[in-house]
Amino acid sequence: MAATPTPLEVRNIKKRFGDTEVLKGLSLQAQKGDVITLIGASGSGKSTFLRCMNLLEQPDDGDLIVHGEPIRFKTTKHGREPEDWKQVVQMRAKLSMVFQSFNLWAHMTLLENIIEAPIHVLKKPKKEALEHAHALLDRVGLTARANAYPAQMSGGQQQRGAIARALAMDPEVMLFDEPTSALDPELVGDVLKVMHGLAEEGRTMVVVTHEMGFARDVSSQVIYLHQGLVEEAGPPDQVLGNPQSPRLQQFLAPKY
Amino acid sequence: MIDLQGYGPRLIEGAGVTVQLAVLSLILAIILGLLTASAKMSRNWFLRRTATVYTTLIRGVPDLVLMMLLFFGGQIGVNAISDMLYYNYDVDIYINFNAFAAGVLTIGFIFGAYMGETFRGAFMAVDNGQIEAGKAYGMSSGLVFRRIRFPQMMRHALPGLSNNWMVLLKTTALVSVIGLTDMVRVAAEASRATHEPFTFLLPVAVAYLLIASVSEWIFARLQKHYDIGFGGH
Repeated sequence: MAATPTPLEVRNIKKRFGDTEVLKGLSLQAQKGDVITLIGASGSGKSTFLRCMNLLEQPDDGDLIVHGEPIRFKTTKHGREPEDWKQVVQMRAKLSMVFQSFNLWAHMTLLENIIEAPIHVLKKPKKEALEHAHALLDRVGLTARANAYPAQMSGGQQQRGAIARALAMDPEVMLFDEPTSALDPELVGDVLKVMHGLAEEGRTMVVVTHEMGFARDVSSQVIYLHQGLVEEAGPPDQVLGNPQSPRLQQFLAPKY
Repeated sequence: MIDLQGYGPRLIEGAGVTVQLAVLSLILAIILGLLTASAKMSRNWFLRRTATVYTTLIRGVPDLVLMMLLFFGGQIGVNAISDMLYYNYDVDIYINFNAFAAGVLTIGFIFGAYMGETFRGAFMAVDNGQIEAGKAYGMSSGLVFRRIRFPQMMRHALPGLSNNWMVLLKTTALVSVIGLTDMVRVAAEASRATHEPFTFLLPVAVAYLLIASVSEWIFARLQKHYDIGFGGH
């Protein structure tokens, strides 16, 4: 094993919903500092693939290895399931997720949202969690909104707050599920700017996105999915600059 | 001032019994209600089935019948057990099936079924994204329940819960049939003895109203607490 284990590795992930096979064997390896963007039309399986990485969806087949530790599975009458949920809970604490619809906890202020998991999951002392939270709020430009409830904040503010919540976990890998898709166009820029900064400081990130500019600028690898399979993958200037498959060419072509 | 003809202290004692009975039954009903709601939403067929039988049974049988069944049936059961212990193991104990405990158990058991429905609806009203965020941040299912699911469910459950509580409070008046001396029983005794029913029944009615008003105030405070972050109703 290498000196530092690979933060996240998934192999041959398969998933079906009823009769539809949505993931037909997908693999990915995120080394430290990698920014991997998953692109593709809606229905290509990119969000489902991301959700299999922290087991919000249970893959029907395939391996998941987080920080060198393989997740153990067993087969029950309900299908394939993790053998030990404690292991899953520990694994999830290492991967924080940023959701399309933010999902900040509505009954807590922004500050409470940020310190919640560090205190109750990581068992950090409250004082330390608060100090970290204030530094993160400053970083995402939301110091003034610390005591606001999510419902009182704009979508862009909520998403930047959600990124601060994710950072508070000191995650191995950050998973972003279409973080700008639910935002008004004029609010997208602020969120992308924060994500840009994270990529530059060497955070390991897996990002499902429709923002081709972001994918081009910050990715170490771009993966184009089509109907649950990898159609093209590689560095952004290759995949986005010189697409080979007609489908990807069409996907990248201006729509109007 | 009304002359309570010496029944004042006993009426107050009876009111104490009513309040204790109601509060303890409420606690039991909430616990049973949470369990029933969880069972109904479980993927285990047996749990779902058991919970459905429980709620159907309770809602189909009058409260008074259930109370007498549990009280008299409970005493017979306890007697059978102590007989068995005496004849087989030579252990001599006699347990008197306590009327207060029987009252709490019956009322809690009845209202647990109604609470179960209230909680089930409230749990389903919580946005799934909120729960997923908890899971994604490494919370165990117990922690997700305590920190997210429960506090967010409560704002949906409180209107139904407060309604159930008001009905439960008035249902406690039934316990006089199994020999518990709540304030209704004291008032009935006093009315018969003095032939002045209004002197005793009016204060009892006022006492119920008072308890109801205080609880409404408490529920309003709770609603305000659990509405925080949701911008009111």
